[in-house]
Amino acid sequence: MSVDQKAPGRAVAPPGASTSRNAPPPARRRSRRVGSLVGMGFVAPAMLFFLAFLLVPIGYAIFLSFRGLRVDGAGGAFGRRVEGFVGFANYTAALTDAEFVAGLGRVLMYGLIAVPSVLGLALLFALLLDTPRVRFTAFARTAIFLPYAVPGVIASLLWGFLYLPSTSPVSFIARELGGSSFDFFSPPVLYFALANIALWSGVGFNMIIIYTSLRSIPTELYEAARLDGAGEWAIAWRIKIPLVAPALVLTGLFSVIGTFQLYSEPATLRPLTSTISSTWVPLMKIYQEAFVNDNLGGAAAASVVLSVGTLVISLVILRFFQRRTFGADS
Amino acid sequence: MSALFRSSRSRRSARVIAAIAAGTVVFGIAGCAAGSESSDGPVELEFWTYSVKAADPAAVAIIDKYEEDNPGITIKLSEVGGTAETSSKLLAADRADEAPDVVQVEYRALPSLVVSGAVRDITDDVADVRGNVEENIWALNSLGDQVYGVPQDIGPMMLTYRTDLFEQYGVAVPTTWEEYAQAAETIHTLDPSVYIASFSPTQFEFFAAQAAQAGSEWWSTDGESWTVGIADDASLQTADYWQDLVDRDLVTVEPLLTPEWNAKVNDGKILSWAAAAWAPSVIYSVAPDTAGEWASVPLPQWNAGDSSVPFLGGSTYLVPEKSAHPEEAAAFASWLGATDEGSELLLTLDLYPAGNGGREATLSNDPPRLMPEQADFYEIADQVIEDTTIPMVWGPNVNVAQGVFGDALSQAALDKASFRDVYIATQEAVIEDLEKSGYTVE
Repeated sequence: MSVDQKAPGRAVAPPGASTSRNAPPPARRRSRRVGSLVGMGFVAPAMLFFLAFLLVPIGYAIFLSFRGLRVDGAGGAFGRRVEGFVGFANYTAALTDAEFVAGLGRVLMYGLIAVPSVLGLALLFALLLDTPRVRFTAFARTAIFLPYAVPGVIASLLWGFLYLPSTSPVSFIARELGGSSFDFFSPPVLYFALANIALWSGVGFNMIIIYTSLRSIPTELYEAARLDGAGEWAIAWRIKIPLVAPALVLTGLFSVIGTFQLYSEPATLRPLTSTISSTWVPLMKIYQEAFVNDNLGGAAAASVVLSVGTLVISLVILRFFQRRTFGADS
Repeated sequence: MSALFRSSRSRRSARVIAAIAAGTVVFGIAGCAAGSESSDGPVELEFWTYSVKAADPAAVAIIDKYEEDNPGITIKLSEVGGTAETSSKLLAADRADEAPDVVQVEYRALPSLVVSGAVRDITDDVADVRGNVEENIWALNSLGDQVYGVPQDIGPMMLTYRTDLFEQYGVAVPTTWEEYAQAAETIHTLDPSVYIASFSPTQFEFFAAQAAQAGSEWWSTDGESWTVGIADDASLQTADYWQDLVDRDLVTVEPLLTPEWNAKVNDGKILSWAAAAWAPSVIYSVAPDTAGEWASVPLPQWNAGDSSVPFLGGSTYLVPEKSAHPEEAAAFASWLGATDEGSELLLTLDLYPAGNGGREATLSNDPPRLMPEQADFYEIADQVIEDTTIPMVWGPNVNVAQGVFGDALSQAALDKASFRDVYIATQEAVIEDLEKSGYTVE
């Protein structure tokens, strides 16, 4: 992988070209200018798409967050609502909205369960697959990864049927054994039920990242450790885990961001139970404001709040771990 | 390692494809904005509907008939989802100046679409067919004196129940809500796994209708300002009624039409559904094996001897303000919803037609497939329509009320908390939203 990345750099700058003392300065400057133009050319498409599909929409969302629909003049009971500026009304509404704040709380609760269990299991599987003498590695890797290929909505539906008392095999067996149906949707269990879906579909992806990172550790380290008398446990704990820490931080960050973006699982399960409200997580609340209540401004403001919050938390996490995991190297 | 290379390359090419696709979409949209201006020559009407489906031969036959009788007009059917999806899509299309020509939504969505300026006033267009539909049905399509829709189907309120199991548990068919509560108690006492019905907190419109039956007006207007009555005395008494049934575990708290609910209906664990004349076809679609064991009767009443009810559900055809062919669109909607010919054809789609022609045709129709033995089903339903004297006025922010009410009632039912507080909280949210939008609230 590293060879592949370095190759283009070598091709662009042939050895000796820049160190030649005889080359006249103007030509050098010109070639540098051409070079920078070429560079700009290569970057341009990316910048264009970045501008068109990220910066402009973000700018528009921020613009929308200051707008709202208000009745125009004296329209009576069925007066037409027209769009106009409403100042910070949408932001105060979003920040004082008990449901939005409660949704953030639910997401945190879910994240506290989902993130550590997904990462823990992913690390465990990756370490197991990386031990010497393990068989069927390729098959196991694919098998663990496979659920990630199942779209979130379909995964939620599959699990939804497994959770509903009338269709759940767990409840069926419990009833056959003389017990009663198990309610997966009652509040404390609900968080685990949702986290379980994330676990099922997310472990494979995270495991692949950690596993790849494990495979890039030079085997000399293990040989040296074995010569020093370290067993597999000690190698895993003292060599492998510290060396894959950057991968763990990366996957952890992805997981935290994914947690704030939790939507399709609760939204898909909502029709199956009355314990999931229509505004259960922040994104569901935003969806409802935008597409059910026709309040695009409110939805935009809540989106901005959520995005800024996610960004801040991501930066805090990165800062915190950067010092611990990458700090030693730099 | 090789797997990783492959995946990163394919991800890159996927990004390129996405970029190209995005470009095509942008240009594609720009391309379609033009060319919907000319009114001469052939006219294509875009019809957003969830009842008239392109995959349904009976629906296609209706469209073919209209196109044959009206040369030069073609109808393009699009199924864009239920009322909620259709409403939001219509608002988006309206803002993009790309409105369709005829759109089907449920009646309660009409006011919010009208105040958004997305719906055309078609009072004059429907003048010719005005006599073909009863006035209590036109009221569902009107705000004040202005007509904004042509009714497709209506929901005369009825209680659909299991005849065999009511008999087995020795329960008479309830005619009042008090009898209904007694029946619920008898059934659940005889077999704790069986309930008379499920209490579904998200059935906002049912609770609104039941409160209207008790004399409450959730929204009302004198034309200038709004009065909100979601927490008036009559309404709060209906809240108490359900609180009692839920607290005593005489109804099961769960949403309708989930795999869970369907299984319980099939197994005879849920014995009835208080809804409207469209309920039998819904139940049949999830529990066809129970056909023949059901019957429908008029909805229970708060006071013995009363017969008044509002409508529940049903839908209307509206013409968007920005339709390119509003006259042709209104003419088609009038034909399908209101003329005798059109409304009789709607009956072939298993709908309860709103037009007089279709309603008369129901009387000689076979009963719904769920109750082949109940020969008087359509006679009872027709009588219920006569008794539908309670007008249902929906405000411009029904969606807000629906969201708050459903969530709060679900939570209260789980926590065994006060249902009255749910009605009061909904009232407050509705008033706050109306005032925020700039409406006057009494």
